[in-house]
Amino acid sequence: MPRSRRSFLKQSVATVAAASVAGCAPDGDGESGAASDGGTRAGATGTRASPLPASTLRAVGEAVLPAELGDDGRERAVAAFERWSDGLEPVAELAHPYLVPETRYSGPDPRPGWAAQLQGLEKECRARFGSEFGEIDVAARRNLLAGPVGQAGTGLGSPSNAGHVAVALMAHFFRSPTATDLCYGRVIAKQQCRGLDGALGEPVHVAGSEGGAP
Amino acid sequence: MSRVIESDVCIIGAGITAAMVAERLAERTNASITIIEAGQRTASLAERTNTRARMLAYGENPYPNDHIPDQTGTGNMYRQMVVGGSAMHWGGAIPRYSPEDFRIRSLYGVGCDWPISFDDIEPYYQEAEERIGAAGEQGPEDCDPRSKPYPMPPLPLSYNLARMREWTDSAGIPFWTQPWARNTEPYRGRNVCQRCDTCAVCPTGAKYTPDFAFDQLLAQGRIDLVTRTLVRRLALEPGTDRIAAAEAVNRDAPTEPIEFRAGTFVLAGGHAWSSHLLLLSANSRFPDGLANRTGNVGRYMTGHWYVSGFIDLPMRLYPGIFANNSLLTHRFASPGPLDRYVRHDIRLWESDVGRVPRLRNGDGGLLWGDEVMADWRERTDSGATARIRSYYDVLPDRDSRLTLDGANTNALGDPMPRIDYRPAQASLDLEDHTHNTIFGRFEHLARAAGGSMMSRRTSRLWEHPGGGCRMGDDPATSVVDRWGRTHDHENLFVVGAPTIVSSGCANGTLTFCALSLMAAEEIGNGLGGG
Repeated sequence: MPRSRRSFLKQSVATVAAASVAGCAPDGDGESGAASDGGTRAGATGTRASPLPASTLRAVGEAVLPAELGDDGRERAVAAFERWSDGLEPVAELAHPYLVPETRYSGPDPRPGWAAQLQGLEKECRARFGSEFGEIDVAARRNLLAGPVGQAGTGLGSPSNAGHVAVALMAHFFRSPTATDLCYGRVIAKQQCRGLDGALGEPVHVAGSEGGAP
Repeated sequence: MSRVIESDVCIIGAGITAAMVAERLAERTNASITIIEAGQRTASLAERTNTRARMLAYGENPYPNDHIPDQTGTGNMYRQMVVGGSAMHWGGAIPRYSPEDFRIRSLYGVGCDWPISFDDIEPYYQEAEERIGAAGEQGPEDCDPRSKPYPMPPLPLSYNLARMREWTDSAGIPFWTQPWARNTEPYRGRNVCQRCDTCAVCPTGAKYTPDFAFDQLLAQGRIDLVTRTLVRRLALEPGTDRIAAAEAVNRDAPTEPIEFRAGTFVLAGGHAWSSHLLLLSANSRFPDGLANRTGNVGRYMTGHWYVSGFIDLPMRLYPGIFANNSLLTHRFASPGPLDRYVRHDIRLWESDVGRVPRLRNGDGGLLWGDEVMADWRERTDSGATARIRSYYDVLPDRDSRLTLDGANTNALGDPMPRIDYRPAQASLDLEDHTHNTIFGRFEHLARAAGGSMMSRRTSRLWEHPGGGCRMGDDPATSVVDRWGRTHDHENLFVVGAPTIVSSGCANGTLTFCALSLMAAEEIGNGLGGG
């Protein structure tokens, strides 16, 4: 029954996602960019994402992404997440697992819920501190985020499955080739095509990391 | 009134074994060849860069329209029904079976011997490797026999695999690299591997997929490829056991039947759909299905099981360089005399398991930003992870079986296949011994590195499956002969996975291809070629 399930999920997603944050209605339909870090979707059904409030998302980024990225690095990470989010197609057919005869689909659209969560953070922040989320210090932001993020479990899995936008942002960054290179201090460049030459060589140091520039 | 399409050879299914048969017959005969595929074309090479990006970003299927929604069975089987078959998605691992695989009854007193020996199939292994484009490293000759070099040099070791090979050398177990259907040199008009590390969808064309072969044959005018056309049954010539026609429908016009007439029919539908079509084609002369006079169609469904684990290594590795290359040993697939039967391979990969970023530390404390990175670095600085896996030989029971499932039908009302795998009692009796032996070797390897097993597991997933039309000299216990010709129908061949006797302990695709080339030779001989 894959088609009926897909249809059901498509129709119900916005309601479910919005209802997950009580009192916080999503912004409603907004424009979603066609460009994405993840390529373009052939046959996309034109599902439109609720845009994620940019300033609140960046304030979340300051709280959950590594400070060692610097302001520019965090901005790049948040912008990459926004592009990825814009390109997300809910209830898309997933790669077939090995020797499984059924078709599997991704989940409902998480973006309305994420947008609502960001709006909820602003509401709660104004209620508690009389300030915007981005105006309180990082420790206070983390206190506000700790409850919902704490429900996310241990891992940083697929961002599209993240129940909270802060976890999605973290997962998107920490699963990226950029984060891997930063962790190891080496240019591993995972999933990047690179030819066969030099395969045996130890990955060179990331410029500016311990051990010097490549 | 059916539309009629005639040819000398009609191949049903457009996967990798069909490509082998069609290519050989096109080169060596003047036969007209029609290939019927129920599915359609999927992402072209030009489109795979984009579908790869979508797969990486969102986990989406990189091969749109690669299956038919209502054409699906029950049990472990592939989802794909598409031009190129499951070899569109494959990683491209192409080890040969070991010589012992063909003689396990004679050598070890278990299972069944094949009707052919390794020496019989070896030239066809070589031919398959040359058609596909195999890049491989010669292993020790006593456990990696071959008469000619690989067509291409092996994929180079990554830094990680080179360090891991130093470790396995210290353990006294010979490892070499897995042979791959990936170009290390320009080959047959295809590109060289760029180590993109997403071999399920190769954006460069370095990995062999059967659509390349079909495209070349189409450009040469040597085949007709009829897609979106589902063969529902094979029909006999009146009063004989010869196959007269494949009765099909175009999925876009299911009320308009098409009849494919040919001198020779080749079932190339993979491990599930070839047996399925034979069973679907039951008639008054063969009430239990075609080629099934002795009741063996759909039986002896086979595959191998595995044990696996992760090893904590006291070394600095960089997972992500090229996880789609691996080290391999067949030492234990060619073990020499045994007190008790156990045969398996071992393969090793780089891995990041246990060393990925996480939201909570080991004490359950929530981590933010720099804390996540610090926790991650601590675990990557302190060591590395290797993934280890062994496929081991599992012998199929006669009742390991594909049947027609009346409870699951397609839109046309045809019952779909159901596979209920069952191991022979001998394999069940050997299971603990097998696991203990292999885990002991895993432990030995871990200790040789000064490391330890992080985790281990067993799996009863029947990987690289086959069977259902197994080959043999005796029609009482088999469906096809050594050439893939059905015992019951002189002009009907089954090729590839369905014809294997057992799955050994190595990926099966190369063997399926070699067996298909054997069949193609026999078919060609009948057409004045070879």
